Formats: sequence, C-alpha cells, structure tokens
Amino acid sequence: MDKVTDEYGLVTEGEYLTAFIPATGKALVFRVKSRINRGYERFHYGPLPIPANVPLPSYVGGAIPVPANGVLPGTAYIPVGSGLSFPLPGAYDESDMWYIPKEWRERLFHVIAEVTPKWLRCDLEIPKGVSQRRFQRDKITVGVEKTFGYSRGRIETLHFPNIHYGYRFGNDSNLNVYTGVDFTYAEYIVEIPKDSDLIFNILTRRVPSLWMTMPISVYVDTIQRAFTETYGIDGFTVYPVTKRSEAISEYNTLLKAVEEREKA
Amino acid sequence: MKELFTLKGESDGTATSGDFPLYSDILYHDTTPPWTPPTKVIIPFGLKAKVWAKRFAAEAESAFEIYWSKDATVASPTWELLDWQKLAAKGELTLEKRRPIVIRSLTGKEGFKVSWSQPTAAKAYVELEVEFTDEE
Repeated sequence: MDKVTDEYGLVTEGEYLTAFIPATGKALVFRVKSRINRGYERFHYGPLPIPANVPLPSYVGGAIPVPANGVLPGTAYIPVGSGLSFPLPGAYDESDMWYIPKEWRERLFHVIAEVTPKWLRCDLEIPKGVSQRRFQRDKITVGVEKTFGYSRGRIETLHFPNIHYGYRFGNDSNLNVYTGVDFTYAEYIVEIPKDSDLIFNILTRRVPSLWMTMPISVYVDTIQRAFTETYGIDGFTVYPVTKRSEAISEYNTLLKAVEEREKA
Repeated sequence: MKELFTLKGESDGTATSGDFPLYSDILYHDTTPPWTPPTKVIIPFGLKAKVWAKRFAAEAESAFEIYWSKDATVASPTWELLDWQKLAAKGELTLEKRRPIVIRSLTGKEGFKVSWSQPTAAKAYVELEVEFTDEE
C-alpha cells in the first residue's frame, strides 16, 4: 500500500484518513487538505494534570491521595468517570485543549500521546465518563483497572469535534512517580470526499488511506449526536466489494446530508 | 515499551545491614514525614525488570545484595538472593552488563530490593540502571 503518513505517523497533505467505528461498522472518510502545524508536530505538555490530594482507587483496595500535582501514586489508577482532559490557557475550551465545537468541522486533531514513565497503563473514555474497552460483547469491561484492555505508555486517537475525551492512566508498580506527557499531533484541515465511488474504493482499501480503528465499542447517544451534528452523518457503512451498487446508492444519499450540513 | 531509569540508594552509616532506600528523578520525593522512600520495587504486571548496570561504593568493607521475591506485595516477603557483590575495603565498583539481570513479573507481585551488609557500619552507596520492558 502506498505510504500516506510521514515519519511521525501523521497523514500527509492530500492523502486520505479513514476513522472506522467498530460499534457501528461505519467509517468516516476524510481527505487531509492541509496540516496547520506542519514542522512543529511535537508538544512537550508537561506533567499529567492530576491534582494533589485527590484520592485515587488502588489495585490493592482502598484509596490513595495524590501526594503532589502531576504525581501518580504507586498502585493507583484514574477511575472511570474521572478521565483526564488537558487544560490549555486560551484554547476554545481551556479545560480541554483537544476539544473543538461542531462548527469547526473542517478541523480534526490526530493525537499521539506518549506518557512518562512508559509503563503506565493507558486507555480512553469516549465520551468522557464512558469506558469503551470490552471483552466478549459486553460481558466484561476491561481497561486500566483490569488485567488487560489497556496499552502501556502510548495512546493514538483522532479527536472529533463536539466530544470530550477522558484519558485514564494506571500505575501498577509500587512507586509514586512524577509523570509527563508528550504529544505528537496534527491539526488537519479536512473535507469529506463528495465522490461515492472514491469513498467505496477507500473503504474497500483499493485507494490507500490511513485506517484508524477508533476504540468505540459502546455507541452512546453522545457520539452519534456529535457525528451527526458535526458532519450530517454518523459514517459510511463499510460494505464488501461485492455490494458496490448498494453502497454507492447509500453513499449518494449520505453525501447529500453532508453537503447540507456544510452549507448550514 | 521500555523505560530506563536510575535508582540510587545510600545507607545511613550506622546500621551494619539494611535495605537501601531508593531514589530516582522519576520517583516522587518528599522530605516531610510521614513520607519515606521505597525500599523495594514491584514490577508492573507482565513486564520484565532488567538491571543493566550496577555501581557500588562504600567507606569500608561491604557486601551488596540484590534480592527478588515472588510476592513482594506482602508485609514480610520471602526474599531470595539473586546477585551478590563485595567490596573488600573502601572503594567503588562499576559493573556494566552486556546481558542484564532479568526479573519477570508473571503475577504482578514480583519485586526486588537492594541490601547492604558490613562487618563495621559505614556509609555505602548504590546505583542501578533499571529498565522496565515488555520486550525480550
């Protein structure tokens, strides 16, 4: 497959980006028109925004107060419902630097967060407060507080407009650690392609794109509403190559909704 | 995933044996009681601890021991000797390992500590280059 990303893993201008939503079997397809922060993709943010004195649950039971700002105590984790946002003075929402409103639908953040120390367990709430990690349908909820269902040291995601995300971390050593986070990010200017043939070819992987499977296994109303209010649709169904005519027909209908939303 | 960090310890100079209190740039440090530095390290679940380098120094004859435990989370773990080095007199010793000491966390409870023992109490110092990793 042709390379559509640069040395950071971010999509280069003119290439396509596919955000696949496992919960619905649909995908949003974007063409990256531009990357606003070309040449300054790295952002050393500093300590995780964990406030001092907040009690955090422990893997061994009970709660442990955070001894100082930005410290994650040994055996402690950020519980569901308390996922972190990253404040930034002057941002659209100063409490969440990756949040943008639905009207900024031409913008899309591609974020790779790398935490220090790298052994920290990481997962994402989308939207904030909703754990997305599951095993055997909804039989078991997993994540940083469980023995699996997390990554260590790194999270890569797309930040869609109109949705607050929650970042969760866990420290399963006994060491109280100073934390840090480095972001590698792209602020893309994007458009949804208006050619249903092209969308079908992208979703059947005949046209190269960066395919990102979003960690969305629980499709709550907030997500559906955010997609629809932002893009006019909540995605294009991913069809097999044998269902081309059915797909094209559906995509043509959806593209009308996209165009109406863009005019609004 | 791998994270390399330096652990540093210093004996109190009055006890002839003990476990080193451990410090690092990455470890929270507070001089206000009741805070105390850790004297053991529990390895995150599923990872390996690799000790790549050891630096020892002492003002008098000293032995340095690295112990590991299958369950370092309990109040009184059962420690097993893993590594032993001795300084016959005042001096220092630096050992870089092409093949590191490896301690695996199979249950999330495994851990290690570094201890000193001396015929006569004297200051002793240790530095370990430790890596937590999920790679071979």
